[in-house]
Amino acid sequence: MKKTLIVLLSLLALGLPVFATGVQEETGPVTITFWTHEDPNRTALEDRYISEFEASHPDVTINRVTNSSSKMPELLLTAFAANEGPHIFNTQIEDGYAYIANGRVAPVNPEAVGFQSTEALTESYVDGVLNAVSEDGQVYGLPLELTNWAPYLNKRIFRDAGLDPEKDIPKTWEDMVAVSQRMVLREGEIITRRGFDFRYPYYLVSMVPMVEQLGGQLVSDDGKTAIVGDQAWLKFLQFMADWGPNGLNLGSPTYQNARKLFNADNNDMGMAMSGLYQAGRIRADNPEFYDSGDWMVIPYPQFKDAVKEVASAYYGHFYMVNGQKSEREQKIAWEFIAYMLSHSEEYLTEVGLVQPTKQLMASETYANIPYADVFAADMAKGNIVYYAENSAKIQELIKEAVEGVMLSGIAPEKALASLKVKAQEVLDQE
Amino acid sequence: MKKAYIGIDKKLARWGWIFITPSLLFFSLFSFYPILNAAYTSFFRKNILSLKPPTFTGLKNYIYLLKSPDFWNSIRATFVFTLGTFIPLVVFSLLLAVMILLVNKKSQKYLQLAYYAPAVLSSVVAAVIWLSIFNPRGLGNQWLNFFMNTPGIDHQWLANSFMVQFSTILVYFWKYIGYFVVIFIAGLSAIPGSLYEAARIDGADNWQSFWRITFPLLQPTVVLVSVMSMLQCLKTFSTQYLFVQSGSPQAPINVITLNIYNTGIRDHQIGRSSAMSIILFLIMLFFTWFQFKASKADSVSY
Repeated sequence: MKKTLIVLLSLLALGLPVFATGVQEETGPVTITFWTHEDPNRTALEDRYISEFEASHPDVTINRVTNSSSKMPELLLTAFAANEGPHIFNTQIEDGYAYIANGRVAPVNPEAVGFQSTEALTESYVDGVLNAVSEDGQVYGLPLELTNWAPYLNKRIFRDAGLDPEKDIPKTWEDMVAVSQRMVLREGEIITRRGFDFRYPYYLVSMVPMVEQLGGQLVSDDGKTAIVGDQAWLKFLQFMADWGPNGLNLGSPTYQNARKLFNADNNDMGMAMSGLYQAGRIRADNPEFYDSGDWMVIPYPQFKDAVKEVASAYYGHFYMVNGQKSEREQKIAWEFIAYMLSHSEEYLTEVGLVQPTKQLMASETYANIPYADVFAADMAKGNIVYYAENSAKIQELIKEAVEGVMLSGIAPEKALASLKVKAQEVLDQE
Repeated sequence: MKKAYIGIDKKLARWGWIFITPSLLFFSLFSFYPILNAAYTSFFRKNILSLKPPTFTGLKNYIYLLKSPDFWNSIRATFVFTLGTFIPLVVFSLLLAVMILLVNKKSQKYLQLAYYAPAVLSSVVAAVIWLSIFNPRGLGNQWLNFFMNTPGIDHQWLANSFMVQFSTILVYFWKYIGYFVVIFIAGLSAIPGSLYEAARIDGADNWQSFWRITFPLLQPTVVLVSVMSMLQCLKTFSTQYLFVQSGSPQAPINVITLNIYNTGIRDHQIGRSSAMSIILFLIMLFFTWFQFKASKADSVSY
């Protein structure tokens, strides 16, 4: 019995080399999964890019999956937690940075995206744009969009309220209150037309700059202290308390999303905060309104006694590649990303997305986009949004403070004290 | 060799084991394993995205939670919701079931269907329907202002701390009342009619029949409904999640499950969220045991 076993094992050991094939380059068909957020205008473009890429790469199939931008972070996270993340994904840098910090994404392969080196790649983008996705001399993502927000204004509603869109546009937050009070319509306490309302879940992008205007900071320069400048934060929180239903009753997070209502032009939203891409969405949702010329974009307001001129923060959606996939799949993924991003002018004209290469920013196409100058001027005054592993938690804490003073009648001092303690604890845990 | 004699009881028991094995396997894989895994993970500091091995921290996650005001607020929010929902659910589903049995057969079917219909909807769909009702310009304000003759008042269904808690309770009550009504109807139908006939001969009226016959004999069903509804309420999630996503303040309705989700998914701290889920599991286990113990549900016989 024992002898037979030894003979069998020896034969198996001798026979194994027969089946050995050595290291070979992977070949054959490959499917690349690509998760991105919904945008009807972009879907049409990218579906076309996929067809074109597949035609020039017969072995490659690109499977594009869309989800709402609010659902993407959790879907991605659960997929990656199970080591089943897609090959390519994009998400806002506030959420995407954790993938870099935890070594989940592959560095850009410069050759696959058409550059001699990482330095040459970095050089092709506007200075500093790739800082958010760079670590130890490597770049881990390429921007699908770099976006800041400014108020869109419905001129007809403005005029209906007895205001002149040429002269009376709100330059300060105090003006914004006054103008909104003129434009707001109510049935009793219930608002039927808002003058302006904020974009509530995105406090890091749209509200932290208001604090910065007043001299406050989210995190100190040395990165050790959270919520700096009590007076600035208090003034901001008081402003939000006054804005809400228990104050001047000009808006609230519980009303329907202002940005979506704005497109409908149903006399229920005078102004809403959004990015350059909103123009493309107005054109898609309501071409009549788009063509009417009854809308415009105005610069991000400043507080009257601002100590620093700061506009909306800008955020990036960066394309990243899953570092757990095979090298061949990573290379194909970067090639496909490079192919999509080689159409930056089309992304800008069709979807309103700015891919901040030096070439695009200097192009006539960019200069001719309506209100691109307003966004560009604001972007020069803004900072990139706060991004860190804890940014989602920090945003949640700001939400708690803002909505506490707006909706639950919590005093700004109390909300600030709680925010400071909790934000510091989060920072200390890093 | 002589074959050992196997009695008919043992043979039947073997078949019993064969039949329940698939469900035991299923239950072990999808219920026991996650519980044990969560218990294990709760002793570690673990980032859900990290590829590094987790760090063993012993009871630190539990100690942190017991000192955390946020976690105690979640306990408060969960108990407010559970008490506010499951007591009315048990009481009103019993009353509705009794009332339904008093009407004619045709109306019974219609009423059962009408009450049960919301139960077939997913919690997400239910929450979305009610979100549009609770919108400041929605039907919630319109109906309440019509009935209370208070035109133009915003009752802040999704904004005010008290109202947002009440709103989540209302959604859950609406969704599950029909489900428990059907269970009570099944329980009521199992009570022999001869008992009521005998009581009527003895001169008992409907009220006396209910308290002396129906209610005592329905005790096992009452316990079943209480336990089921309490467990449902303790693990409520989607209504609160969607309300918060739609602008409601989180603190009043930050139930434990929502806190687990935020800690694990948003904050990436899967060890701490596992500790929270184990605490929730122990709470659920304790109250289930307590209800069975307190009610002596198996003491009823016809």
